[in-house]
Amino acid sequence: MDVSQYLEIFIDETREHIQNLSDNIMVLEQEPENADTINEIFRAAHSLKGMAGTMGYKRMQHLTHMMENVFSEVRNGTVKVTSSMVDVLFQCLDAVEAYLDEIVNTTEEGENDNEPIIKLLNGFLEGANGETAKEEKKEAAPKEEQKTSSDTAVKGDIKLDEFEINAISEALTKKMNVFKISVHVDENCILKAARAFLVFKALEELGEVIKSDPSVQDIEDEKFDFDFTVVFVTESDKDTVTKAVENVSEIKGVDTVAITEVPKPVATEEPKSAEHEEKKEEKAETVEVAKVENTPVKAQEKKASTPAKSNSGKPVVNRTIRVDIEKLDVLMNLVSELIIAKNGLVSASNTDAQEKNSGFNEQIEYLERVTTNLHESVMKVRMMPIETVTQKFPKMVRDLSKKLNKQMKLTMTGEDTELDRTVIDELGDPLMHLLRNSADHGLESEEVRKERGKDPVGSIILNAFQDGNNVVIEVGDDGNGIDVESVRNKAVEKGTITQEQADTMTEKEIIDLLFRPSFSTAKVVSDVSGRGVGLDVVKTKIESLGGAIEVKTTLGEGSIFSIRLPLTLAIIQALMVEIGDEKYAISLDSIQAIEDVLKTDIKYVQSKEVINLRGNVIPIIRLHEILDIEKNEEDDDNLIVVIIKKGDKQAGLVVDRLIGQQEIVIKSLGSYIDSGNKLISGATILGNGDVALILDANTLI
Amino acid sequence: MEENLIDNQSTQYIVVDLGIEQYGIDIKYVDNIIRMQNITRVPNAQPFFRGVINLRGEVVPVMSLRRKFGLEDDEFTDKTRIIILKPAQHEALGIVVDNVKEVVSLESDNIEKIQNGKYEKRHISAVGKNQGSLISLLNVNFIFEDIN
Repeated sequence: MDVSQYLEIFIDETREHIQNLSDNIMVLEQEPENADTINEIFRAAHSLKGMAGTMGYKRMQHLTHMMENVFSEVRNGTVKVTSSMVDVLFQCLDAVEAYLDEIVNTTEEGENDNEPIIKLLNGFLEGANGETAKEEKKEAAPKEEQKTSSDTAVKGDIKLDEFEINAISEALTKKMNVFKISVHVDENCILKAARAFLVFKALEELGEVIKSDPSVQDIEDEKFDFDFTVVFVTESDKDTVTKAVENVSEIKGVDTVAITEVPKPVATEEPKSAEHEEKKEEKAETVEVAKVENTPVKAQEKKASTPAKSNSGKPVVNRTIRVDIEKLDVLMNLVSELIIAKNGLVSASNTDAQEKNSGFNEQIEYLERVTTNLHESVMKVRMMPIETVTQKFPKMVRDLSKKLNKQMKLTMTGEDTELDRTVIDELGDPLMHLLRNSADHGLESEEVRKERGKDPVGSIILNAFQDGNNVVIEVGDDGNGIDVESVRNKAVEKGTITQEQADTMTEKEIIDLLFRPSFSTAKVVSDVSGRGVGLDVVKTKIESLGGAIEVKTTLGEGSIFSIRLPLTLAIIQALMVEIGDEKYAISLDSIQAIEDVLKTDIKYVQSKEVINLRGNVIPIIRLHEILDIEKNEEDDDNLIVVIIKKGDKQAGLVVDRLIGQQEIVIKSLGSYIDSGNKLISGATILGNGDVALILDANTLI
Repeated sequence: MEENLIDNQSTQYIVVDLGIEQYGIDIKYVDNIIRMQNITRVPNAQPFFRGVINLRGEVVPVMSLRRKFGLEDDEFTDKTRIIILKPAQHEALGIVVDNVKEVVSLESDNIEKIQNGKYEKRHISAVGKNQGSLISLLNVNFIFEDIN
């Protein structure tokens, strides 16, 4: 059977399930009795097993089957969740992930049977309940019998046990609809089981399947011809249900029949038609048989009747399509060009005899609105919540906690903050690195923490939030903080700086040393960090994304690394200024204010120019000097000062003239020009076709 | 057959003036020849870069060969052109020349390789002879290598 066309879907869905399992097992560790979580885990393991089986990955199927068994027992209450069990479950997940990686690379699952893990899982099954393992085997036999009996049974008829009848009666008293749905799968269908699975999935979104014939297990193993029948409880009406099933492709026919009374004498409603009457009788008969025959299979049946209540709380999934990122890039470039063209029109309208055609201006304004909106929507398409990278962190921190033998907990906020997809893809490694740093270097050992009167459980935080046109991600801990003196000594020892330099350097400058290549202060190189490929890589990566990183630290109380990233990469709002004859753009979100400053207000501190602005002392930067531009001779008494900010630092840039605010498209200067100090972060094309450079406020400060 | 052989051995060069010398640029590296336009200076860049220009929506750096070769600085006239070079696997680069004269086909018989000696000379890979005048053939790959 050729299943390669489903491989991609399989890989995506498996990843989702693994993530889901990982999240839920984390919850389970905290709340071992949480029934919803246990059910959720059970379902995820079950789906994984089914998918792996369909795709023919036997080892993966076996492993997930064992997981499912363990959870089946947990759900029945025969096995209690323990910390060691959670450990083994995580090992299982890692193993499943390893299978998946192998599949991604080679389309084969590899040779690793993961016997030790399976043995451990079996241990839980046997340890808690000596009978369980044997029961498992017994269980298989009646199932076979049931299958053959259902094959001989009249088509469309279905046997119900007491439990299921109760469920139906309960549903009916709640005025819910009960249907018997017979589904006929197309004879040409390759993946009958997958189609059936989709039918079940569709149905489970609407309500609860309380019985299926053949059993869910047999359907998954493709032990059915082309028909199967389910009894289904729902709040939706008949048409909706029929449609939902018909929407699954390669389904040939659906026959939905409403069951309006309980197939048992307790029925309160009057039979509505002769046909129903007949059915009722048939059912009542089969119930008798089923009661006797089905007892050993109870555990199995229970599974199919997981509470529907948790389903109703499921979030409605957004309708999505996959788009190749390159196509988006093309779209983005087109929008960029449109904006350049629009800017051209704007400048043309300014130079022409003004006022003459206000209609022209109106149209330009209209065009401006359209391009801005278009740009925003294209950008939004490229946005993803940072959750996609952060979701694997809780497990990572848990692993670190075991490995380093320190207790720690990770608190994350703002995972729904959105960033450009290209940035998200690159962000995983730096963040992971910072978290490891916090866990390994930041947090003290448990004894030290107790001595210092801190909570023995170390706390690591990851906060993300939007700040203007930037997204800030903070990674911090309540550990030891950075020991500036130790860094200073280490730097001298390593020869990074001389003793004289070390003596004159400020705390801030010392901390910045940490971002130099090959500088690690960990006294012992551990598995986790301390190999000297560290913060400098993080810094380079963040800067290549157009962002910046800084550290706040207090010795003994912890440190916070905060990463600041631009929300959008390609188009920004900027203030255009003129210095001498040259035009420059300054990104609007780094600008705090524009001030008119009297020359006499400039003071000197340590022979550097500063102004006192409402109590803040702000250094003045003469752009003429830095940018090497000849000064216009006219000496005004007033200076135009653009106040820029970076974090909580400020600086005032002296410019000659303000041109105005403009939406600009950022273009790279290319790799040839090396302006030394990175003052220029890029270039943009003005309406008249000239190039203007973009000043990077971050490096100016 | 014989004609083909001769054709294969000849290379087309764009001949430009730079000061009193003539330089030839292999046509396969040339993407475009444009008239002089506003060049935006980039502060603190390497001195031989005049700045950047807008070439159909892309920002392209422009280099002065005169500055590179230690000649007097460029004087922009009606005849000044920017030649956009774009070898495979490189970003585009503009070079300023005084004048673009013609395109010539040089057969390999008329090209004389020169020894790679001093640094200044390495920008020239060979000297071509065309109707009695000498053309210094630019080593375009070296120009790109030399930037970094």
